[in-house]
Amino acid sequence: MKTKTKISKAKLVMSITIGIACFALMLVMFMQFKVVKQTDITSIETMRESDLRTELSDWKAKYTELTELYDDVTSRIAEYQSESETDEETAQLLQSELAELNEALGLTDVEGEGITITIQDNGGQELPDDMGYVSNISETDLLVIINELFDAGAEAISINDNRIVAMSDIFRIGGAYLQVNSEPIRSPYVIKAIGDPTYLESAAYNKDGRLTALQEAGHSIQIESSKNRKIQIQKYNGTISTKYMN
Amino acid sequence: MTDKKMISLILGCMCILLSAGIAIQVRTIGGIGTSTGSNSTENQLRDAILKTKENYDNLYEALEKAEVKLETERTNATQNNSELTDLENNIKEANKQLGLTEVTGEGVIVTLNDSTVPLTGSTILSDPNDYLIHYEDIISIINELKNAGAEAISINGQRIVANSVIKCDGTVIKVNGQKIGTPFVISAIGMQETLAQVNRYYGYLWKMKNEWNLDVSFERTKNPITIPKYTGTIKFNYAQSQ
Repeated sequence: MKTKTKISKAKLVMSITIGIACFALMLVMFMQFKVVKQTDITSIETMRESDLRTELSDWKAKYTELTELYDDVTSRIAEYQSESETDEETAQLLQSELAELNEALGLTDVEGEGITITIQDNGGQELPDDMGYVSNISETDLLVIINELFDAGAEAISINDNRIVAMSDIFRIGGAYLQVNSEPIRSPYVIKAIGDPTYLESAAYNKDGRLTALQEAGHSIQIESSKNRKIQIQKYNGTISTKYMN
Repeated sequence: MTDKKMISLILGCMCILLSAGIAIQVRTIGGIGTSTGSNSTENQLRDAILKTKENYDNLYEALEKAEVKLETERTNATQNNSELTDLENNIKEANKQLGLTEVTGEGVIVTLNDSTVPLTGSTILSDPNDYLIHYEDIISIINELKNAGAEAISINGQRIVANSVIKCDGTVIKVNGQKIGTPFVISAIGMQETLAQVNRYYGYLWKMKNEWNLDVSFERTKNPITIPKYTGTIKFNYAQSQ
């Protein structure tokens, strides 16, 4: 009886020591894992110099943008805080904020420098040398072109005067008809984009871009840059639903 | 005897676990070591990127605080006046519509993954690119969700706003300028019954699954979905309201 308790005591001490040692080791390991995860080293560690340079300039641009936004918000706070304010002045402040938000939502007619692209769908026409027929412009083509224009810094885009907003969709509704924002459209597709005309133009003429591909596939494309000349883009006429979002 | 066996077994297991952990760590750190190299320009660039990122994160934190403060200031300025409160509510609603707030609601989750079909036998000669998810697939699925009545969409935590760009940058896909990888998890808030249209027979998702053998899934979640806010900036420099 006595010896048995002695042994179990020794065992207990031993297992506790081992337990503590294991626990400490595990702790260190998890700490390490966490550090490795946090530093996010894998993504930039494996990059080459040129990638690193673009990454750096991307982050710098984002930082500059954020600085502007921050200054904007702080100056607004100061405006609301100013003591002498009457209700009228507050209303003006609120109105100007709302006007800016509505502009960003695409709920106002806008104008500015930009580009106008006209695409004539030559679908069904015979290709030379018995190469078959030209296939119709698809919704994906238009989606990709819009994506390319936004990538080139477009601020507002419309297709056949239908404004592209966050939840805009493009669908084929049969035959040569597509629809944008549930409005039927057909060729020629007139895409207007407001933004830096130089960037927009270089995106439109990009040899790897979708417009070049469509031209090579047999469609007629006309690109008109409006440098120093304003183009108008209409507002979105639908409603933006938030029924299911809380 | 059995006690001893038990102890040695447990100890053995522990040792194996620990060794495995250490081995993984050594490999990870080893991997980092080799790619770091001795190129000082690259290291300087890395430092600069990390520093800019840190500055960005700090400023973003400050901005979030400032936005909260702006909201309280606005509420203070508009209380006791119903007209002003209405305007304030309009501003809140517009921010929500723009994607500048985190939102929760019923919806669906679409997951897109590269094909799991092994390149053997009849498929060995096919182009491996046919078995991957392309940025066009993502654009098309998002377009389908919008058509089916989505009110808010995010992909791998990146909120889709009007000017969001989904593009292919070499071997990675970028959304809102951020790199994302497989699996692509697209969450959409809206009425589940209409959103289920995305999963229709012969729709784009159906084709991805049945014709192109991609690993895709569609889920009507029981619990509400949360979609994060857009963390970029929306600013017009060229477009002016008339």
